[in-house]
Amino acid sequence: MPCAETERRLHAYFDGELDALGAAAFEGHLESCAECRAALEDLKTMRAALRAELPDERAPAALAARISAALDRETAAPARAARRAWPAGGWQARGRSAQSFGRGLLTGAGGGLLAATLAFFLIAPHVSAPRGGLLDDLVNAHVRSLLPAHLVDVESTDRHTVKPWFAGHVDVSPAVYDFTAQGYRLLGGRADYFEHQRAAALVYQHGPHVINVFSWAGEGAPLPADTTRNGYRLAFWQEGNLRYCAVSDTGWAELLKLVSLIRTAEGQEGHG
Amino acid sequence: MRAERGSAEERRARFDVQVLPHLDAAYRFARWLARSPADVDDVVQDAMLRAFRGFDGLRGGDVKAWLFTIVRNCHLTALAQRERRGFVPLPAEGDSHDGAALVSAAPGPESVSMRRDEERNVERLLGDLPPEHREVLILREIEELDYREIAAVTQVPIGTVMSRLARARAGLKARWLSESEEERDAVR
Repeated sequence: MPCAETERRLHAYFDGELDALGAAAFEGHLESCAECRAALEDLKTMRAALRAELPDERAPAALAARISAALDRETAAPARAARRAWPAGGWQARGRSAQSFGRGLLTGAGGGLLAATLAFFLIAPHVSAPRGGLLDDLVNAHVRSLLPAHLVDVESTDRHTVKPWFAGHVDVSPAVYDFTAQGYRLLGGRADYFEHQRAAALVYQHGPHVINVFSWAGEGAPLPADTTRNGYRLAFWQEGNLRYCAVSDTGWAELLKLVSLIRTAEGQEGHG
Repeated sequence: MRAERGSAEERRARFDVQVLPHLDAAYRFARWLARSPADVDDVVQDAMLRAFRGFDGLRGGDVKAWLFTIVRNCHLTALAQRERRGFVPLPAEGDSHDGAALVSAAPGPESVSMRRDEERNVERLLGDLPPEHREVLILREIEELDYREIAAVTQVPIGTVMSRLARARAGLKARWLSESEEERDAVR
């Protein structure tokens, strides 16, 4: 049985909570420790079973309607409601948000850009509106896709039916892959409109979560840093003249794994 | 910088865009907390109303974890009320099961036999776990919150999240393996 400290690191590694250095060190340990390798395999087996077999439930329509009606009453009588903050004082979203924003800038493009961006915000805050606009567009497109019957325009269990559909319906031709074996099932594709063009959306199912992978043509201006908005995570990357953004309420590790699967598959196709 | 405090309608519109899309996730989480379908709807509705009232206090993008915190508080409040009225028995003392689970969960030769089995009722095994173990497992494996978010939702330090998660996984694995053994014995 591994010592308590090793076990903590095993779980942290499995959950994507170690930094790059810590993860590399633990992978070194894994090579020499059969016990930890076996334990890691068990963790993977259990996670796969949990994600695959637990029912994917949605709030019943009657409940959603009841809540909507209650919110309507509340909106009509706002004076009573206004002062009640919850949870009182204990929430840490503000600090966390600022922190991860700063981290994203630093890892994304270095301190020079951070300074430049801060100056930009300070001097001309109103100019930053279009950037917020893109993030809002992406999150809104994701939320809209979750409404009943909005998820996909073309269904697929086979990428060869999605790719040709894109050719006639969007302005870009993104890479289309299915990663069912890795826990990301391709549900299909959809057309969305933002950045003044018909953008493509690939839709993946991961446990109870839907992941939209948007792609649109664009070069030049820097991509936004990975960020969280309205409870959804947004991961950006660029491939040639195509820009991609994966949006979901999955964990960061799980979202970035899909990004890495797509990028790896693209790299192999590009060179082979 | 303060969030703009607009009219009630604007506030409602912002709530509909930022919070309401997480209703399904809130419902899923409440299902695992409450375990009784009748209570789940009340907990979720109460949570949504409280979220709406406290919406001005929210900063930053972490809406989902914030909403989960409220769902969990509403669940605990409802649970305490029912207990006071004597409607339900006290919940099982969580950590009392842990000792045995931890010992038998050491990765050993039996872990080789641990494999995916479609017949296994993962949902029921998970339901047998103590509530504070079940909730960290659900938050991590299904809702995919990170440690910091789980710590915020469950209102314990990150170190406690880590040890609970390790014990929850060990407990689930122990139940899983003992069930496999029973099945093997039954086949013989």
